[in-house]
Amino acid sequence: MNNFLTIPFLIFFPMIISFLILSPFFTSNEISVRRFTKGICFINFVYSILMIIFYSTGNPYTSEIHFFGMNWVQSLGIKFSFRADSISVILSALTCFVFLLASSASKLNIRKNHKFYYSMLLLLESAILGIFNANDMFLFFLFWELEMIPAYFLIGGEFQENNEYAQDAKKSAIKFVLFTFFGSMFMLLGILLLHYYNFAANGVLSASFNDITDSTIPLSIQILIAISLIIGFGVKLPIIPLHTWLPDAHTNAPVPISMILAGILLKTGGYGIYRFNYELLPQSFQIIAPFLAIFALINIIYTAFIAYAQDDIKRIVAYSSISNMGLILLGLCAINRIGISASIFHMVSHGLVTCGLFMITGIVYLRFKDRNINTLSGVATVMPRLFGFSVLIVLASIGVPLFAPFISEILTIIASLNSDISDIIKFVALFSLPLLILSSCYMLKFLHKSFFGGLKAEYAKVNDISVHEFVILASVLTGLLIFGIFPDTLLSFVGNGIN
Amino acid sequence: MINDIFNILFPETVLTIFILIMLILSMFLSPRLYKFARFLSVFGISLSIFFLTTVQTEPQYFGFKNSVMSDSYTLLFDFIILLCGFFIALLSKNLVKSFKSNAFTYHAILLSAILGAMFTVSANDFLTLFVSMELLGFSTYFLIASAKGYRSKEASFKYLLTSAVSGGIFLFGVSYLYGITGSINFSEIYKFVSENEVSLLYSIASVFVILGLCAKLSVFPFANWIIDVYKGTETSVLAFLSTIPKLAFFGIICRLLVFPLGNSIILPFAVAIISLITAFWANTYAIRENNVKVIFACSASANASYALLTASLVSVYNLSTVIFYLICYVIMNLSVFAFLNIYGDNNSMNVENFKGLFHKNHGLTGGYAISIVALAGIPITSGFIAKIYLFTAIATSGLVFVPFLLALLLLTVVALFYYLKLLLPLFEQCDKNTEVMNLKPAFSQKFVLIITSVITVLIGIFPEILIELCKFIAFNI
Repeated sequence: MNNFLTIPFLIFFPMIISFLILSPFFTSNEISVRRFTKGICFINFVYSILMIIFYSTGNPYTSEIHFFGMNWVQSLGIKFSFRADSISVILSALTCFVFLLASSASKLNIRKNHKFYYSMLLLLESAILGIFNANDMFLFFLFWELEMIPAYFLIGGEFQENNEYAQDAKKSAIKFVLFTFFGSMFMLLGILLLHYYNFAANGVLSASFNDITDSTIPLSIQILIAISLIIGFGVKLPIIPLHTWLPDAHTNAPVPISMILAGILLKTGGYGIYRFNYELLPQSFQIIAPFLAIFALINIIYTAFIAYAQDDIKRIVAYSSISNMGLILLGLCAINRIGISASIFHMVSHGLVTCGLFMITGIVYLRFKDRNINTLSGVATVMPRLFGFSVLIVLASIGVPLFAPFISEILTIIASLNSDISDIIKFVALFSLPLLILSSCYMLKFLHKSFFGGLKAEYAKVNDISVHEFVILASVLTGLLIFGIFPDTLLSFVGNGIN
Repeated sequence: MINDIFNILFPETVLTIFILIMLILSMFLSPRLYKFARFLSVFGISLSIFFLTTVQTEPQYFGFKNSVMSDSYTLLFDFIILLCGFFIALLSKNLVKSFKSNAFTYHAILLSAILGAMFTVSANDFLTLFVSMELLGFSTYFLIASAKGYRSKEASFKYLLTSAVSGGIFLFGVSYLYGITGSINFSEIYKFVSENEVSLLYSIASVFVILGLCAKLSVFPFANWIIDVYKGTETSVLAFLSTIPKLAFFGIICRLLVFPLGNSIILPFAVAIISLITAFWANTYAIRENNVKVIFACSASANASYALLTASLVSVYNLSTVIFYLICYVIMNLSVFAFLNIYGDNNSMNVENFKGLFHKNHGLTGGYAISIVALAGIPITSGFIAKIYLFTAIATSGLVFVPFLLALLLLTVVALFYYLKLLLPLFEQCDKNTEVMNLKPAFSQKFVLIITSVITVLIGIFPEILIELCKFIAFNI
């Protein structure tokens, strides 16, 4: 079935449309641009679902683009080649789904510069899809860098009216770009060294993932490469000392962009660790995995405490994302099939949960013009339907059975307890199990403080959620329930693709 | 002699004839005929480009008693230098219009600078090299000083002083080399070095030679001039200053490093260290600056140091990288200064003044933005490929250079910060009170800006053709 579904279409279709939207011939009417973008995102989503349906295990989609009969940069062995195995396919589908949600959610608070906004949104989508589907280290790096441009404009651009956070947004966008660039330079160092030492050891001048074998590269150099790669991915994931860009960017960005950042962009870091460290450099990953697991534990505990201390509802959600990313990292460090599939599963489930949570904060802020949990109260009295959704999604996020995060959290812990790499990982797993309760502390605090209590008089006539918002929240919830009740659909699909 | 002229020096001869014509015309014609002067200059350069086809390159040709040489390497550099000259001549409008003296003189000096640059690349002994360097240098002093106001005079004088000092250091190194090898001819020095054992003195002498040449690239010991000179120079002259001397001096430094001075042991490390210091200095200096010209001065210095570091790790592969990097870099710079030329030298060069330009002039500001993005090394531009290619070359040079590589990579993060400072105001939304300038470009300026920025993107998407060319050139040296 490889012949009618091609990856380049999936990746470059949004990019071409984004240039089309940006061109002066395209209409600048808000409603038509948004609906058009939504339509494009929907087409892409359907396409990615088709790619899942027609995917046959052990037979990944591949494709290669040549320029004038030559590879992209022939003299360095860089090819414009794509390959989608089961993990890429799943994460691509998640990307398309989150972008569909985000383009719908843009109705909430995007009021200015529509053409620019939607074109950047689509450009970001193709960059992220490129990261998930690239089959060449330099191509991966290209998309990794490319994603920075639209992300900068989406975080820091002026798209909202009377936005009190506009100045902060600009600063945090610059912070985001500098941090990402800092990380990607380390990543580039790793890629360059891997490329060269693979050539020196195996005699194959190629940057393609298929052509890299680590067994002949000296171990010390492998570790050097692995560490510089981890620093690169650690900025995105984020791993603790490199995380400071995240709360700022997530808090100050418009709601749809926060959904994308937390839902997808962070996962590119985890995907990178899987693709590079786990697949290409397994020897060195076995050595550094225990140390990474300790960082994962710090991620889980430390950010949970910070999240508890926050007043801003968006910041709480942002810190909870970092905490969850620690869990993903722990799953990857377990280096066994369950661990990896639990990690990927958690990427999907956390992607959905965090979309829902950011959507809720966006709706609350839109109605009450307030994000502080100390001044916010009584939302439940005027918005009962939103309250219902909030309770369900918050319960999902703290890992209550029937919802997807429950499965992935439990599986991650089980996998790391069974890990035969090192005792440190088992130790970390033992510690992190009770500490997962911390997530319920801050999430329930958020729910309790903002939804219960007396309502201020001026908000008595606030409307409950509209149909539009209902659909978004309901689709998130449906996804969470489906994967929570039938986890094996995803787990076996992912598990079969892991070597 | 006549044979030599027809075999390898015909383009240079054409340029010389045009210089003479312009100098004669400047005595008789009205100084206000700037359009005719520009046409003549562009025509001369085009004719010279056309006559590059007559140059004999296979096999290497040595003319004028071995003092000038020609191969595909010099041919490529001559071509790029002439191409840059073509664009720079097109940008001359603003300067020449406000120029009190003669338009023909300006173009004659520009052509003689190009002539000097071409001879610098194809020199085959230190005497020819020194003379052509001085021809290039003196023309540059005049070009810098040609704008109105005391600042340009000051800039010109500073450049003159630095060049004088660096020229002295260069000659000092050459005198030692002559003392050791008994010749100033590159081929004979190379012959001597490959037959005899290399002494420490020889290594030190070659470091002096390279240092003397590097001053023009604004590398560490002589880096400071670039700030003041860029501040006081007209943008069209900056377009010249940031491209042609750079091409000429890199052309000759790469040749010297590969071919006569290649056996020196301490030279690569010395050059690597000074270029690292330069990169550090330039990138950190630019952070505090708000003047666009100064930021580009620092960027020029930093970029030169990256290329120099790569060139110092002598290998054929690295040489092709440096050539590729230079070509990409020169094109980006032309585009940047074409935009600044349109923007106008009379306006303030503070970054704040560029606010909101994108919303008034999509195409022009877009081209400028693309070039800045390329300078920062972000994808779909030639800068990205050039950066990857350059860093690959350093990575392949061995584990000793990994710290250098890491340092450079981190410095590019610092560089991104000041490139963002240039880039972001362009896209900022202005409130209705502040007036955004409406750019009014002449056709020639628009032409240069659009062509160069389109080439920047095209190389970013289809780099392989140019890379193959550079590799071919590097393997033929």
